[in-house]
Amino acid sequence: MSSQREAYQIPTGQQSPAAGMAMRSVVNTSSAANDEGLPMRYICGDCGTTFPLKRADTIRCVECGCRVLYKERTKRMVQFEAR
Amino acid sequence: MAPAPTSTSWDHEYNTLRRQKLFTDPPTDRSAYPLLQIAVDPHIESFDAIFEEGGLIDKGLADIDTRTYLDGDDRSPLASRNRLSIKYKGVHVQKSQVPPSNKFAKNREILPAECRERHVTYRGKLAATFEYRINDGEAREFTRELGQMPLMVKSKFCHLRNNSPAQLVARKEESEELGGYFIVNGIEKIIRLLLVNRRNFPLAIERPSFQNRGPSYTSYGIIIRSVRPDETSQTNNLHYLNDGNVTFRFSWRKSEYLVPVLMILKALVETNDREIFEGLVGSPDSKGIKNTFLTDRVELLLRTYKTYGLYTKEQTRAYLGEKFRPVLGVSETLSNYEAGTEFLRKIVLVHLGNVNVTEKQDSDKFRLLLLSIRKLYALVAGECAVDNPDAAQNQEILLGGFLYGMIIKERLDELLSTGVRASLRDYFRRNPARTFTSQEFGKDFPMKIFQKTTENLGEMLQYFLSTGNLNSQSGLDLQQVSGFTVVAEKLNFLRFISHFRMVHRGSFFAQLKTTTIMTKAVDASAIPALAAELGVVSTSSAATDESVPVMLNGRILGWCKPAESRRIADTFRYWKVEGSHGVPLHLEIGYVPASNGGSYPGIYMSSEPARMTRPVKYLPLEKEDFVGPLEQPYMSIACTEPEVVSGESTHVEFDPTNMLSILANMTPFSDFNQSPRNMYQCQMGKQTMGTPATALRYRTDNKMYRIQTGQTPVVRSPLHNAYGFDNFPNGFNAVVAVISYTGYDMDDAMIINKSAHERGFGHGTIYKVKKITLKEESRSKNTKGVQKLFGFAPGGPVKGSAQTMLDNDGLPHVGRMVQEGDVICAWHTVTADYSGNLVNRDGQTHFEKYKDSEVGFIEEVRLLGSETGNEPAQTISIKFRIPRSPVIGDKFSSRHGQKGVASQKWPAIDMPFSESGIQPDIIINPHAFPSRMTIGMFVESLAGKAGCLHGLAQESTPFRFDEENTAGDYFGHQLKMAGYNYHGNEPMYSGITGEELAADIYIGVVYYQRLRHMVNDKYQVRTTGPVVSTTGQPIKGRKRGGGIRVGEMERDALLAHGTAFLLQDRLMNCSDYSRSWICRKCGSFLSVQPTVSPFVTKKKMVSTVRCRNCAVRLDQMKDGEMAKITGEIWEDGQGNQWVGGEDTTLVAVPGALKYLDVELAAMGVKLKYRVDPKDATRRGPLVQTKWDGLASGRKADSQQPALVAA
Repeated sequence: MSSQREAYQIPTGQQSPAAGMAMRSVVNTSSAANDEGLPMRYICGDCGTTFPLKRADTIRCVECGCRVLYKERTKRMVQFEAR
Repeated sequence: MAPAPTSTSWDHEYNTLRRQKLFTDPPTDRSAYPLLQIAVDPHIESFDAIFEEGGLIDKGLADIDTRTYLDGDDRSPLASRNRLSIKYKGVHVQKSQVPPSNKFAKNREILPAECRERHVTYRGKLAATFEYRINDGEAREFTRELGQMPLMVKSKFCHLRNNSPAQLVARKEESEELGGYFIVNGIEKIIRLLLVNRRNFPLAIERPSFQNRGPSYTSYGIIIRSVRPDETSQTNNLHYLNDGNVTFRFSWRKSEYLVPVLMILKALVETNDREIFEGLVGSPDSKGIKNTFLTDRVELLLRTYKTYGLYTKEQTRAYLGEKFRPVLGVSETLSNYEAGTEFLRKIVLVHLGNVNVTEKQDSDKFRLLLLSIRKLYALVAGECAVDNPDAAQNQEILLGGFLYGMIIKERLDELLSTGVRASLRDYFRRNPARTFTSQEFGKDFPMKIFQKTTENLGEMLQYFLSTGNLNSQSGLDLQQVSGFTVVAEKLNFLRFISHFRMVHRGSFFAQLKTTTIMTKAVDASAIPALAAELGVVSTSSAATDESVPVMLNGRILGWCKPAESRRIADTFRYWKVEGSHGVPLHLEIGYVPASNGGSYPGIYMSSEPARMTRPVKYLPLEKEDFVGPLEQPYMSIACTEPEVVSGESTHVEFDPTNMLSILANMTPFSDFNQSPRNMYQCQMGKQTMGTPATALRYRTDNKMYRIQTGQTPVVRSPLHNAYGFDNFPNGFNAVVAVISYTGYDMDDAMIINKSAHERGFGHGTIYKVKKITLKEESRSKNTKGVQKLFGFAPGGPVKGSAQTMLDNDGLPHVGRMVQEGDVICAWHTVTADYSGNLVNRDGQTHFEKYKDSEVGFIEEVRLLGSETGNEPAQTISIKFRIPRSPVIGDKFSSRHGQKGVASQKWPAIDMPFSESGIQPDIIINPHAFPSRMTIGMFVESLAGKAGCLHGLAQESTPFRFDEENTAGDYFGHQLKMAGYNYHGNEPMYSGITGEELAADIYIGVVYYQRLRHMVNDKYQVRTTGPVVSTTGQPIKGRKRGGGIRVGEMERDALLAHGTAFLLQDRLMNCSDYSRSWICRKCGSFLSVQPTVSPFVTKKKMVSTVRCRNCAVRLDQMKDGEMAKITGEIWEDGQGNQWVGGEDTTLVAVPGALKYLDVELAAMGVKLKYRVDPKDATRRGPLVQTKWDGLASGRKADSQQPALVAA
């Protein structure tokens, strides 16, 4: 890395509407009313289906009961050192 | 018509299309690379042997036999007590499965890939069926589960058994998954092959440590490692004593016992002294009787035994039984005679019978013991030589599966003896009224009583595999207790495959490509009858020129004349290769010819497992024969066909490369190199940053190295294809020029073309996996349920910076770049509320950080569920990708032990170029060659260049060229045809000046490897940094930012150079430099203290320091002295007032010195420092220091001048 200044800054989440307002605030007090957490999508390690899962849900595929889930690759732009 | 089966024959060509097809459509019938599987098979077969029908466990259970326990009082008569006999009926293993409590899984199998991904153990249920009877009642059975046993991948109990490459790929494995290892906590572990003494063979040993057994013991002895059918062993030793006596030694449960050998002999069979005498010496008309050395000693042996007064077999066995009862722990129900029989069954020459020993077997033991004694006397007399236990000839291999079986057997034995005994005793202590026949006992017996015993064998086996430590009561007759297992590192494929071929403390023999280890006994049942037919008789003589033994698997078949022995051995070999007369091909016929003082002659045949064998061609029949290590030294095996000596050679090697290992076969033209360089390459091949696996996506190894620009070598041998090494490329073809160009290639440095580097030359990647678990990783099984969850605490404050780095689930974005200190996951504590929902109460979010100093990328994030499928996310596994493009200081090597460090990335415009415009990728220095003599590298360069020019793959098997047809000519012609210089030299032009270089430059294409040693993992710099708190010196270790020690030798070098200032800088200023106050008067660091002014606030500490020791406290002064006070009054921290102690000064000293002072003071030792020579306490009268005074002093002869000067 040549310098910190050049390093790409990942924009904060566009998905959550609350995060947009509190983008640069040091402390994000907006709880986003997600006591259960927003459902995230995961890929089953066995059958490959994607399905949503909430914070305290059990880790298993809804289709096949597989015990290994992969996180999806982020939809955000990730770009590093574009030279 | 069915399609043709996948071809398994390979040549040296590229076979690009064929390989491409194998990749895109993995075969559904069989692997295209069977050689790989063969290399690993001994591991898998030995594991399969444990649980097969009539396998090691079944044989072991027969050896364990029935245990009998008695109830009631120990003092009551035997007849009045009830007996409980219990034994194992069988042990069963299941394949790896999801537990029944998991109601969600559609697929009940747990595949190895899942275990790797979830960091758990690949295991299956182990259960044992017991059979018991009370008194002589009817036998009843019950089954107990013994935990979950780790399973070997691709063994009989593995789901991957007999899977086609296509199936393996579907199951997230390599298309060429080999198996042979265990998966323990997600880590692949293999049990090392272990070198042990040859079984069932009396080894003549001379070992000085034998004298330590006691007085009159000599260094001579015989060792027989006797192996039971279940592959457990019991070593029997014979010791020669000074007076000619012989004792029998064995070790049982790690204790050693000595028994007169005659006692064993007499216990084995009903015999008399004459029979023993003739058995040792020979019949009265034989030559042996004239050997007075022998007869004297045998006579003494027999006479000294008279003191025991034991004559019959019955008496002797009863005597032995009485003595060894407590040692063996035999049941009270057995008589002394039966206990003696048990002793002989369990300890004496167990290979000749360990279950239901017949009289014939006892007689076999008797005869082998006689032969051993005879060999011992021959050894002492110098008639035969010692056998070398360090030579492959006298060794065999203990296979991983066999060791595993041994451990299981011992644990089962322990469970039945100690475990059941202890719980029964416990039961009757609590319920004294009950007996075996009482009703309550009948109800309680299997269930309640077995609950008390530790029967989790699976856990113990998992411990063994993960630590490699053997926790054993008996020691399993092995020399070591740790280091039995190693991690099968997938650093690159060469390293991985080597793990299966290596032998711990091993000889080269087992590593040979062609050598395999027998895992099955071959049928040798026809041999004894054939031997008798060929003239083997039962009478013998001690003279080896009269009769020599003929043995099969440690059993004496008979004796024959030395001249006949050769004929017999030759006949057997002919039949064996021919495949006739029922002589198996894998029988080893160790014919040791009679010699003058050489090894003890005889024919030692072996058909048992764990032997090493290798194929050679038998000349009389022109057919394949298998030879073993014992027979090999006495055979004449020609290396090549032309070397066959008519009438002498019996065999010829199939190929001279058979002497090379898998790895050594990958070195091109290794016959041109100096041999140590080939060894270096075998080491470096295993350290190469290559391609560890093709199923990278499903692997979670802690650290994996991968080369991005892997290529197939231009110069390779057919074996490269046969082993499928193109599936796992290990390097890249580079244009290499041998010039001394800029000076940056001195001393094994190499210059890399900068443009090549920018196009990705040698680019590599490291994958690191971090497992983050919220579960308490403790052994105690207090499952408190879920206490933590991943994610941000709902409602709690979270830093924006942390939230941008993580997703809403508290886990990192896949694909994100992470730097040191970045947050990689968030978690919070939870407790269950009334309705069972998990609620966070403190609103606190905790973070895990990325600690590496290098930039990495999140490659994969895995959420790992529990086996039962009912837990929320408690464990995740994050895979980081760390790019590693080559930097200056990284290590590279060719395949000829020529390693070097990249010293410069030289701009392409300044690189030399040839007439065809070729620039080298790499420049190495010509000085790398003269002393190392790696001519193979030159030949590879030549062949590589010609291959590139013609588009050929070059065959590089060693021993294909000779003096008439040289490699230089062969490849020179190819170069010439392509319009290049015949010798591989080319005129080149300096890239800097454009002028032609004065010499022609040797330039060609060489396959280069990038080694995993990279500066980024190694560099260590420091000026200041963390220090040890006690001494103030820098801490150790690169990870913690410590320094490199300037040790004694470095100090010596600096001293010798007179570089005192540098030395001061290293040892003082950059180390534990500290400034300290000291009292000049009393010379102490410890008595000084800063003064405290009552008028100044705490912040403004005054820098005056006084000595408390030299000062006087005002309130302890006598009134009269008060008046005479001179000097300032000062105050300490407690408000006491002092005066004096002003003679303090500030000095620079090492921090360690002050530490030493304190330590010594704690022990009552005072150190006194003299800050200046002037501060020295003067001894003797004051002497004038003026010159005239000095002169007068000398005249007066009162003082030595030196002292005066001081």
